[in-house]
Amino acid sequence: MGRRKKIVQECETLMDDPEHIRNIAIAAHVDHGKTTLTDNLLAGAGMISDDTAGEQLAMDTEEDEQERGITIDAANVSMTHEYEDQNHLINLIDTPGHVDFGGDVTRAMRAVDGALVVVDAVEGAMPQTETVLRQALREGVKPTLFINKVDRLISELQEGPEEMQKRLLAVIQDVNDLIRGMTEEMDDIEDWTVSVEEGTVGFGSALYKWGVSMPSMQRTGMDFGEIMELERNDNRQELHERTPLSDVVLDMVCEHFPNPVDAQPMRVPRIWRGDAESQLADDMRLVNEDGEVVLMVTDIGVDPHAGEIAAGRVFSGTLEKGQELYVSGTAGKNRIQSVGIYMGGEREEVDRVPAGNIAAVTGLKDAIAGSTVSSEEMTPFESIEHISEPVITKSVEAQNMDDLPKLIETLQQVAKEDPTIQVEINEDTGEHLISGQGELHLEVIGQRIERNQGIPINTGEPIVVYREAPQEDSREVEGRSPNNHNRFYISIEPLGEDIVETIKMGEASMDMPELERREALQEAGMDKDDSQNIEHIHGTNILLDETKGIQHLNETMELVIEGLEEALDDGPLASEPVQGSLIRLHDARLHEDAIHRGPAQVIPAVREAVHNSLIDASIKLLEPIQQVRIDVPNDHMGAASGEIQGRRGRVDDMYQEGDLMVVEGVAPVDEMIGFSSDIRSATEGRASWNTENAGFQVLADNLQPDKISEIRERKGMKQELNPAIDYF
Amino acid sequence: MLTFVGLGLYDERSVTVAGRDAIRDADRVFAEFYTSRLIGTDIETLEDTLETSIELRDRAGIERDPEPILEAAESEDVVFCTAGDTMVSTTHTDLRLRAADRGIETRIVHGTTAQTAAGSLTGLQNYRFGKATTLPFEDAHGGDGVPDSVVATIEGNRGRDLHTLVYLDIKVDDPHWDESDDTYMTASQAAAMLSEPFPDTLGVVVARAGSPDPLVVADTLDELATQTFGDPLHLLVIPGSLHPLEADALESVAGADLE
Ligand SMILES: Nc1nc2c(ncn2[C@@H]2O[C@H](COP(=O)(O)OP(=O)(O)O)[C@@H](O)[C@H]2O)c(=O)[nH]1
Ligand SMILES: [Mg+2]
Repeated sequence: MGRRKKIVQECETLMDDPEHIRNIAIAAHVDHGKTTLTDNLLAGAGMISDDTAGEQLAMDTEEDEQERGITIDAANVSMTHEYEDQNHLINLIDTPGHVDFGGDVTRAMRAVDGALVVVDAVEGAMPQTETVLRQALREGVKPTLFINKVDRLISELQEGPEEMQKRLLAVIQDVNDLIRGMTEEMDDIEDWTVSVEEGTVGFGSALYKWGVSMPSMQRTGMDFGEIMELERNDNRQELHERTPLSDVVLDMVCEHFPNPVDAQPMRVPRIWRGDAESQLADDMRLVNEDGEVVLMVTDIGVDPHAGEIAAGRVFSGTLEKGQELYVSGTAGKNRIQSVGIYMGGEREEVDRVPAGNIAAVTGLKDAIAGSTVSSEEMTPFESIEHISEPVITKSVEAQNMDDLPKLIETLQQVAKEDPTIQVEINEDTGEHLISGQGELHLEVIGQRIERNQGIPINTGEPIVVYREAPQEDSREVEGRSPNNHNRFYISIEPLGEDIVETIKMGEASMDMPELERREALQEAGMDKDDSQNIEHIHGTNILLDETKGIQHLNETMELVIEGLEEALDDGPLASEPVQGSLIRLHDARLHEDAIHRGPAQVIPAVREAVHNSLIDASIKLLEPIQQVRIDVPNDHMGAASGEIQGRRGRVDDMYQEGDLMVVEGVAPVDEMIGFSSDIRSATEGRASWNTENAGFQVLADNLQPDKISEIRERKGMKQELNPAIDYF
Repeated sequence: MLTFVGLGLYDERSVTVAGRDAIRDADRVFAEFYTSRLIGTDIETLEDTLETSIELRDRAGIERDPEPILEAAESEDVVFCTAGDTMVSTTHTDLRLRAADRGIETRIVHGTTAQTAAGSLTGLQNYRFGKATTLPFEDAHGGDGVPDSVVATIEGNRGRDLHTLVYLDIKVDDPHWDESDDTYMTASQAAAMLSEPFPDTLGVVVARAGSPDPLVVADTLDELATQTFGDPLHLLVIPGSLHPLEADALESVAGADLE
């Protein structure tokens, strides 16, 4: 029997034994060594040959990932590991480190119970370390820490024992500060800080495949001095053989990460708001493999042979071929065609996957990343995606007419796989729009379409996505239908920042029970009466119905909402999306007969009322901004900070870290296009840098008119603004 | 001067003599056919018969941009005409008020309308009709199925023992409507939709009112849903209880079996 086949069999035996399963993710700032470490673990488990670990990058399955050397999609893999004479099944999800792919990280966290946070010993905790930690903790996923690239401290930086100890302790301290800060207000988490003594911290070198931890030192009898000696003398092979990285890390995983039986009772209430007293709640908390089937889909992939594959965590019941399951948010059922588990980039079909495992399923044609799939209809899991706010758009066009239908299909697939992507199909012009989290994000998607689907495409220049938002309270404004028989009275005011944040985080939405939504919004500062009048939430905008007993309004409300959404999707300044507005519907006058208050009447009336009140509320254009951090040698610091300041940016902080200077600041995304090549030439390639989307901010008043007219021109809109817009 | 002329129910000969004269004498003639149509004719025939040329306006050209009509009416004799009567189910009161606002004199020449045809063709007494209502195509009113307000109107009328005239949706010139879909709702479609909230209920179909061969059929809604009634336009009446004379009329002209 082949080695691989044997592992699959071992996995199948362990699948039924949730106490010996660990579902984990590895998360880190880009380039800190996640992929290299993952390969080590696979090699340790016999999944790939020992020699090629570190070069093979088994998890980077897409060609573009291997080329770029960064991990883009979260991939899944299962392996076995023996710890304290007991075999364990470890389901591992690799996550991308680049901020443009943040949506994938959050989704991966939903499937796992433990997160191994990898930090580069030389660089220390970086912005994305913070981001991934936050994503893990928010999902109730327990962290442990692996400090990587320790070989560089020893061999390259030639640090002595004291210097090194100080540096490692500083990294631990930083990570613990982050953990403490983020869990302070979480009642269900006591103390999740990591410590060397407890064995929740490991050190080592993913590249040279050795690692240590307190327990491993006790087991192998090797102390730090000896390790430094071997590393410094280039005896890395011996080091690897005597204290292999994979054992150290996998032991830590088995010892310190909760198994599904321990984890689900705590995680289920965090991610599911259904009836806690129900049988279903019990089944999920107890990981009952005989209960109703509940699968949380965290990833959709495409296999050239099997078609669409949904991957996710089985929280209850047992998945089997032929089951007819409900998919949240869609009508009807889907029939499971096959079930399997992951081994590296490949899927292994198995007969059944019970609760507590990560499964790969075909046949769920209606599922998207984030769907809840179940054998009985149920409250879906909390949405994973916080309102993702795309900041950059590109047009995509097929080069050949023949590819038109296939391109549309592919774009729709792309949006299904990655909900942080938004796709706008335009069948008339054939010029479609895709919007995403950054330049790289879109570039990668474009390349995938060309390479995987073989569709040659032309893409346009990246375009920044703007927002429009009210700045003050409007008066009550009337909107009339074209036939004049229907009238709506509306006023708009800016929503409080905390309320906007609450909606963005998915903590208040129309999907959740009304009471919970009210509470969340009241907690964020919304007036109690207001919270009871909520009729609709669109983006980060809220509609309140303050009317009393108006005949036929109920029946017309769907059209009111349609008009509202149209008005908010295309703001009055430049047809950019409106955010953060509280819309009060005070009164309405409606025609007696349904036909005279149909879509052609109500939609334009509401649209007009919303736009006019937004204008009365001094609506302004907002632009996306990014936080920028540049690490650069001292003599290039001026050039680096100049690159931020020259882009309408602001430098907030400059400080020394090791032998490098760190420059931190913010700059508009619009100005950051092309930053990577500029900073490279300004610093002779000596700078490393990192950006993170930091929301939207009002564009300076003196820039508003030009920017508005530029956007209108690009969109082919007429230049004249509504004459009421007289405040610029 | 702005004269509103109702063209009546069916073809170029449905207009009154007074209406025809007003049209012949006018300097300019505007018309809209998005609320209803003269099924038995077309614009050219209408123009030939009435010896005029007609400027057609779409919905936006009346509701959003009535300016050309009003401006013309300020200095010339202008006629604005529609199928039926201009002020009954098609409510052009707004246009009349706008004209009045600008000091333009207005005048109305009536046309026969579905409202009167429903009573006269069926023998149901005009005095016993309650509120009328329009049944929209499914999905055309922002919800599914029959709007609650339509059900409430019929129920309300029946509660007071009154008949309900149900106009059937016409989709013309509506940006929210797909061209491949139906244009005129048929009485069988309407009967099928209404038979759910109103099982075992009598309905009276009026097809092609105003034409040389109008059709009137009375039966239960479920039965009507299985029949066809030929070319448009159709109307549906849901009677309240029947006066003996009304019952006789339905049996005689509409083939009702009221046993
Ligand atoms: N010196 C040294 N280099 C490492 C180590 N681990 C990873 N690297 C290198 O760091 C770079 C980024 O590693 P990768 O695993 O792709 O990082 P990821 O972006 O977190 O997946 C690669 O060039 C690796 O060879 C290590 O322990 N020591
Ligand atoms: Mg990687």
